[in-house]
Amino acid sequence: MIPTISATALSRRYRDQIALDDVSLTVEPGTVTGLLGRNGAGKTTLMRIITGQEFPSSGDIRVLGQAPAENDDVLRRMVFVREEQAYPDLRVEHAIRVASWFYPNWSEDLAQQLLSDFTLPLKRRIKRLSRGMRSAVGIVIGLAARAELTLFDEPYAGLDAVARQLFYDRLLAEFAEHPRTIVLSTHLIDEVADLLEHVVLLDRGRVVLDAPADDVRGTGMTVSGPATAVQEFVAGRTVWHQQRLGSRASVTIADPLDFAAQARARALHLSLEPLSLQQLLVHAAGASADEKVSA
Amino acid sequence: MNTLVKVARYHLVDRMTFVALPWGILAFSFLVNVVVSLSVPTGPHGIYTGGLATIYVFLLISGAMMMTRSLPFGLMLGVSRRSYYGGTGLLVVVLSVVYGLGLTLLQAVERATNGWGVSLHFFRIPWIMDGPWYQTWLTSFVLLALFFLYGIWSGLVFRRWNVTGLVAFIAAQMLVALLAVVAVSSAHQWHAVGHFFTTVTALALTGALAVLAAAMGLGGLSTIRRVTV
Repeated sequence: MIPTISATALSRRYRDQIALDDVSLTVEPGTVTGLLGRNGAGKTTLMRIITGQEFPSSGDIRVLGQAPAENDDVLRRMVFVREEQAYPDLRVEHAIRVASWFYPNWSEDLAQQLLSDFTLPLKRRIKRLSRGMRSAVGIVIGLAARAELTLFDEPYAGLDAVARQLFYDRLLAEFAEHPRTIVLSTHLIDEVADLLEHVVLLDRGRVVLDAPADDVRGTGMTVSGPATAVQEFVAGRTVWHQQRLGSRASVTIADPLDFAAQARARALHLSLEPLSLQQLLVHAAGASADEKVSA
Repeated sequence: MNTLVKVARYHLVDRMTFVALPWGILAFSFLVNVVVSLSVPTGPHGIYTGGLATIYVFLLISGAMMMTRSLPFGLMLGVSRRSYYGGTGLLVVVLSVVYGLGLTLLQAVERATNGWGVSLHFFRIPWIMDGPWYQTWLTSFVLLALFFLYGIWSGLVFRRWNVTGLVAFIAAQMLVALLAVVAVSSAHQWHAVGHFFTTVTALALTGALAVLAAAMGLGGLSTIRRVTV
């Protein structure tokens, strides 16, 4: 099967910085991929190159099997909802109407449903909307387009928790009923952790992690209890982080624990707590930073 | 529906932009001039105004806005730059034809009513737009398209190279004009230039403007190819 996205040695250099540095990755059709990383890690640049809005300095990008730049056949099969998308001076209803013309699979029912879910005022000019409302316009277009490849870049700036949950619910329902390939970039990792099948972590323009979300979740565990017992238990394991509070210690280890190890931890009266996806990614990004410093 | 037509319709989705606004502004400018011609003593040749320029300036600004404000949403919707430019170009042609026809009709009325009864020359411009109706239509079309395309190209230059680029763009045009002046002066050919402008027909000048408009269109096309949003 042709991968939906296939990037090979993709780099984008600007005058005084490297936004993307030798990025290679593939995104399989019908998956939900989380594109994660800190501000300035290169997430938006990568998505802009995927959608032909930006050009790579070097390397190769294929989307749905073809080069996306200036390729109407490929471009019309994707939708890219950006954080702080710039709109012309139009009313909400105008923007929705225009979007409906461009997408062959557009669902007007879904669009109307989402507009009322987010209580968007149809007659209001987009520039007069609050930040969250403006984000909602992008979300409505991104979901109702039912495009084969749907990219969301921090789509919910300014949206409250209720509206964000609405977005996740709708995204999941839509994905189940009308499968498509979704790439979602966000900082709110724990909120979307359950949605993601695959995670790609960027740090300063490089891919530092590219793995199925389930594999990532299995790694990383915080062991806490009496300091001596903890030290005994973690001896010989990869330690990410440790802290001591009086006679108690709490150590984060990187490797997965097998059944015997878990039984031993119980025997030592240690408590085990798996790291959340967000904590894991913070560690992974931190590890890559250390590498950079020592290199 | 063809992608180019969709892009053209995108620009027209808000009826205010290209229907109500430009003709409203022109009507206002016209009324101001009518009141002025009623209030001041009219000479033997009537009153000439530059009020018609408002519609050209409007198109110049609209063209720039289509490339600065409207482009990012167009690209969000999965349109290539080439299609966006083509669709916008289609709109430029259609609007210039329709606006040109409107101006031609209004000019005919102005002529028939002897300057709206107050000897006002609003839609008649001596020499260049004072001939038969089809010539007025053609010249209006070319001039409207020229202003539109100049605005579009300027907007794209701004989009791609920001204020610095736009300043350089305008400075370059001034340099070209300056070079022409220096060249004519050093060759002592001013009489030939004078001769050209006194003998050229309005139609020939329209042709020259059409060439200029086409050059603007090509300039914009070459600029949009690497614009990023």
